[in-house]
Amino acid sequence: MPLSSSPSKKDDPLTSNASSKRMLWQQLANGIAIGSVYALISLGLTMVYGILRILHVAHAGIYALGAYVGLFSFKVIGNFWLSLMVGMAGAAIAGYFVERFLYTPLLHLPRIAPLIVSIGLFTALEEAFRIVAGPHTLAYNARVGLGDLSIGSFHLTETQILILFVTFAILIFLWVFLTKTRTGLAMRACAQDPETTSSFGVNVSAIIAVNFLIGSAMAGAAGVLIGVYDNQVWPTMGSIPAYKALAIVVLGGLGNIPGTVLASIVVGLAETFFIGVLAIPFPRDAVAFVGMILVLMFKPYGLLGKA
Amino acid sequence: MKRGIFHFCVFVFTVLFLAFSAHAQDIPIGFFAPITGPAAADGASAKNAVELGLKEVNDAGGIKGKKVNLIIYDDRLNPQEAVAIANKLIEKDKVVGVASGSYSGPTRVTAPIFQKAGIPMVAGYAVHPDVTWDPKEKKPNDFCFRNGFLGEIEGAGAAEFAVKNLKAKKISIISMDNDFGRAISAGFAERSEKLGASILTKQMYKFPGEKDFRPYLTRIKDGNPDLIFAAGYYNEAASMVRQAKELGITSQIMGEEGFDSPKFLEIAGSAAEGVIIATNLDRDDPRPLVQNFLKNYKKAYNEDADMVGASSYDAFMILVNAISKAGTDPKAIQKALLETKDYNGLTGKISRFVQGEVVKPVQIQVVKDGKFRRLGVVDNPEVITPPTKQ
Repeated sequence: MPLSSSPSKKDDPLTSNASSKRMLWQQLANGIAIGSVYALISLGLTMVYGILRILHVAHAGIYALGAYVGLFSFKVIGNFWLSLMVGMAGAAIAGYFVERFLYTPLLHLPRIAPLIVSIGLFTALEEAFRIVAGPHTLAYNARVGLGDLSIGSFHLTETQILILFVTFAILIFLWVFLTKTRTGLAMRACAQDPETTSSFGVNVSAIIAVNFLIGSAMAGAAGVLIGVYDNQVWPTMGSIPAYKALAIVVLGGLGNIPGTVLASIVVGLAETFFIGVLAIPFPRDAVAFVGMILVLMFKPYGLLGKA
Repeated sequence: MKRGIFHFCVFVFTVLFLAFSAHAQDIPIGFFAPITGPAAADGASAKNAVELGLKEVNDAGGIKGKKVNLIIYDDRLNPQEAVAIANKLIEKDKVVGVASGSYSGPTRVTAPIFQKAGIPMVAGYAVHPDVTWDPKEKKPNDFCFRNGFLGEIEGAGAAEFAVKNLKAKKISIISMDNDFGRAISAGFAERSEKLGASILTKQMYKFPGEKDFRPYLTRIKDGNPDLIFAAGYYNEAASMVRQAKELGITSQIMGEEGFDSPKFLEIAGSAAEGVIIATNLDRDDPRPLVQNFLKNYKKAYNEDADMVGASSYDAFMILVNAISKAGTDPKAIQKALLETKDYNGLTGKISRFVQGEVVKPVQIQVVKDGKFRRLGVVDNPEVITPPTKQ
């Protein structure tokens, strides 16, 4: 007897009672929370693509590294917020090393070379996590100190509040940084034309380094947040984000930061509603790719892109 | 100098000869498990438990004075690897019997190989029907035996308890999308509907990969079921029960043997309290066999034994028991296995094998104070007797 994902109509709670409204609100919270994490991972990827035109697959390895560093520092320090900072710092430093010692020396080669290096590094990182921390899933049992929040029928769990809060703070920081500071301006200029930017006396190599530091710190934050949200940190936790984030980045228009944020939230919501409301037996991880295919067909410059 | 080399050679050959002649006296038994790779945690449990069994047998003087030589291979949860291992065990190691401490994937591909070679195999906890059944010839693999339950049987056992003892009327089912998840939830759904319960929702999630169960659980919560039957392995199970608690779900959660691991208790923490599972290991079984195993395992490996370990131990011991009755001829061992009657196993008393499928009660355990404890036993023959296939 095969399992079907949709029950018979008469038993379906959705068609009958009023509680389904509360469910819709809850699904909205679920979707935005997971979409926010996607945004944190994908932003670094799209920033790296914007400035170096490299598909930084190992970014998902940096994400997992952030989770491990955060978890181990949490075990030592015992304070979640500090462990979040340490996780972000660890990821940022790792991202910086990747840029300095792997990508920069290869920039004169066709872009396929850094891509292959990136895939190799990603695999190596997964194995390194397994060897160092063991094959088991580890629990990230952090007490965050926030409570649940209910506004009418809208209910947010503690970890969802955490994710929204951290993501929002980071997005504000990113926006201020990119639009209000000279370094941010230089970074946007680099993304458009590094040579001209360099001729204006901007240290392009330093700008690239800052780009990697910020992008990797965001991935590290995402790793810590997922570690707490799912209460699990495991060696291959980057393997699904590795390709899902690529699809999201394309969906958002390669290198387009607001587009990437929008695409992440859309994917998070679409996944959640496909599973939890429409109950369509559609594989969750395919949503981003179907979206990517549609975007490439009809809007090749991304959701917010202009031709 | 030349003399030195000569002496050295004589020494080496003597050692090798002694080693081989001693070897020839041993009884070679094969064993494979996913010791590395994605299921390394289960592989370690299986190997640890079987090595404990091996020590017990050899410390007690072996089988009729002959030591058991256990030949261990790592299949890395990879069926191709398992095929090579099966051939090696038969051709090179010349084993008289094999115990599987692995999952369905590697175990089922080895079944036709052992069947063809006429070497008996006992699978610890692999659940796929094709371990004991040849789907092409439509006949049982009569050299293959299974100590664990078929998915359908365990699911039906869980449903029996859920509806009859827990009085669940409205039930939601969420299962991982693989052979085991499908088989056990199909067995659960069929039995619970037959007993008069109604299934509100049936959902499947991707395995491996899914960690965020909130969309599924939010939908389940909306129907407010009496009971949620969740089929999955311990990592996903731990995430699920925690997220259910976060979302304020108060329905009873019932799982299966995939939950049966200290890792589930560790990751789920206090959210595991009150979760009920159907499994084959009863921690509160008063028989000394069980209590000694639990104690010795803890002592040897400094962690609690789990279902996977106990089932693999049983697979090995069932084989040892048959060899001690029938000697080392594989055909005679198979005959002894076919004639198994009221065997006192670690994971319950095995009344017999039906087409290689075990007949024994399904254990119902509940998490209490961070430990699995006995809640009940399902021994209704209508539920636990595997159907005879034609």
